[in-house]
Amino acid sequence: MKSPGDGLPPASGGGDASGGGHSERKLGEAGAAKRLSTGRALLAVVAGGLGRAAGALLVLLALASLVFLALRLLPGDPAALVLGDQASEVDRAALRAKLGLDKPLFIQYLHFVWGLVRFDLGESLSRPGVPAYAEVMRALGPTAALAGVAVGLGTLFGTSAALASVGPWLGAGRRWVHRLTLFLAATPLLAFAPLLTFVFAVRLGWVPLPGDPESGAGGLLFASGLLSLPLAAQVARIGRAALLDQSRAKYLEVAAAKGASPARVWIVHALPVASTPISVVVAAQLGALLGGAVVLERLFERPGLGSLMLGAYASRDIPVLEASVVAAGLLFVVAQALAGMVQAMVDPRGRAT
Amino acid sequence: MKSQRSALVQLLPLGLVFCAVAAVVLFVEGDPGRLHLAQSWQPPGGERLLGSGDAGVDLSLLAAHATFRALVLALAVACFGFVVGTSLGASAGLAGGARERWALRVCDLVQSFPTFLLALAVLSAVRVPSRLHIGLVFCISAWAPFARLALAQTRSLREAQFVEAARALGASRFRVVFGHVVPNLLGPVAVQIGTAAAGVVIGETALGFVGLGPPDGVSLGGLLEQGTLGMLRAPHVLLVGALTVLCVSGSLQLASEGLRRHITRDAG
Repeated sequence: MKSPGDGLPPASGGGDASGGGHSERKLGEAGAAKRLSTGRALLAVVAGGLGRAAGALLVLLALASLVFLALRLLPGDPAALVLGDQASEVDRAALRAKLGLDKPLFIQYLHFVWGLVRFDLGESLSRPGVPAYAEVMRALGPTAALAGVAVGLGTLFGTSAALASVGPWLGAGRRWVHRLTLFLAATPLLAFAPLLTFVFAVRLGWVPLPGDPESGAGGLLFASGLLSLPLAAQVARIGRAALLDQSRAKYLEVAAAKGASPARVWIVHALPVASTPISVVVAAQLGALLGGAVVLERLFERPGLGSLMLGAYASRDIPVLEASVVAAGLLFVVAQALAGMVQAMVDPRGRAT
Repeated sequence: MKSQRSALVQLLPLGLVFCAVAAVVLFVEGDPGRLHLAQSWQPPGGERLLGSGDAGVDLSLLAAHATFRALVLALAVACFGFVVGTSLGASAGLAGGARERWALRVCDLVQSFPTFLLALAVLSAVRVPSRLHIGLVFCISAWAPFARLALAQTRSLREAQFVEAARALGASRFRVVFGHVVPNLLGPVAVQIGTAAAGVVIGETALGFVGLGPPDGVSLGGLLEQGTLGMLRAPHVLLVGALTVLCVSGSLQLASEGLRRHITRDAG
């Protein structure tokens, strides 16, 4: 019989200690084993996260290299594309020297990777004197606001819809809530966002028109609201399934028998249990949310990372395009890693062994 | 029997949409890109069924051609993914061991690539992006889900009793693979074609909407962009664009759902 102190965790990782002995010792051993297995689980999550981070870095490097190569392999002279055909040969040579395009490709690539690490990819071409990274940093704010508000609204709308579709408040109407969320989940953002914008901004005039630079909080709220709808539909779908799963549970009956109102039963007792799958869905949808943010920035002509990227693409502003694609890629892989970690924390089956 | 019939009924809307746009593309004369500046933003009615859009393009022609091209592109990409992904996944599954793990890892890597950034990178390598380049972008990542599915199927078929029985009866490796494993693999993997095609249609629309579409503007995304530009002057353009996207993506999703139910019923 081992003492609790030096106890190795059982191979199964479970809490049950085998063998006889005094009940106190057994209890102590089980507690130690449980502590160890919790530590192990945490370790597995961290290790999985590290493995995922390595994969994420690989994706990021591949994306950055792809952008780098794409811009260098462009048929013709990039300097001519940037400056136009009328530019003198001297100007073009100066730009080529500034961008390092006159050096061998390999040296350029090393310089590019070193610039990535140092957060210095040179100055913007369309706004001379402004570093490309500063442009990206300036654009990150509005995009983060848009996406952040959308995540909040989506979780709120989705959870409310899930509660409304299982709770007793709406009667037969709850089936319609469920149908609406199913319809919304199957409809692309691109089909309904312009339509809703037309109805609310042009016909009803409740929200600022697209492209209004003074749109302020109302504009942000409306754009995030549109962006949050696909997320809300997914949250409602998964949340409803999780709540229905709980609906026959004994502890809800107990709560109801003690005189809790339906609202208290569903919100205080059932919802915390359902919040686990909901958080997994929200994390998993972050990547799609970033894609949607690009579309909505275009629709509402809002400043942000998507607009910056598309503008840099249109004007062939090479340093800004490189910096913004890498920044967007970074956001994307961080969102994915976050989703993976939430998933691993909640569901041990997905953990890397 | 009844549920099987209803599963196939779900293919009907897609067939209708496809036949309608194919008929317009084949039999109605006219170039969807032709401009009539005098008829810019004209409401529906008269000789133009759905009215005119920016610079006087005929909306009904534009919508039909854009839908047709989007569907053809989506089906081509999905079929490419099906052929390439299934053969890669099945061969990796049959090989087993390290090759199987590597195949899964590559799938992970490809699937975690954000399509929009990939498109931006690839399209900035060409002077004028064409529909072929856009298709290429989708092909880069389209095969991965098929490969993953085929690998999983092969892995379970590899251990199935009827495969073991065939082996025990002395069937050659070729015969086991192409007579027993592959036929049982195709159905469940083919289900993914519908999902992949729907994804490509939405992706192509989004790219076109943000300005990464084909230069002639004949795409669902271009149509939607016209609609948002002319939102104040001519709301019918927006309505036509949004409803077209809704119909196409909805019918594709319905069809893929029907296909899934039909095939899993056959398999089960």
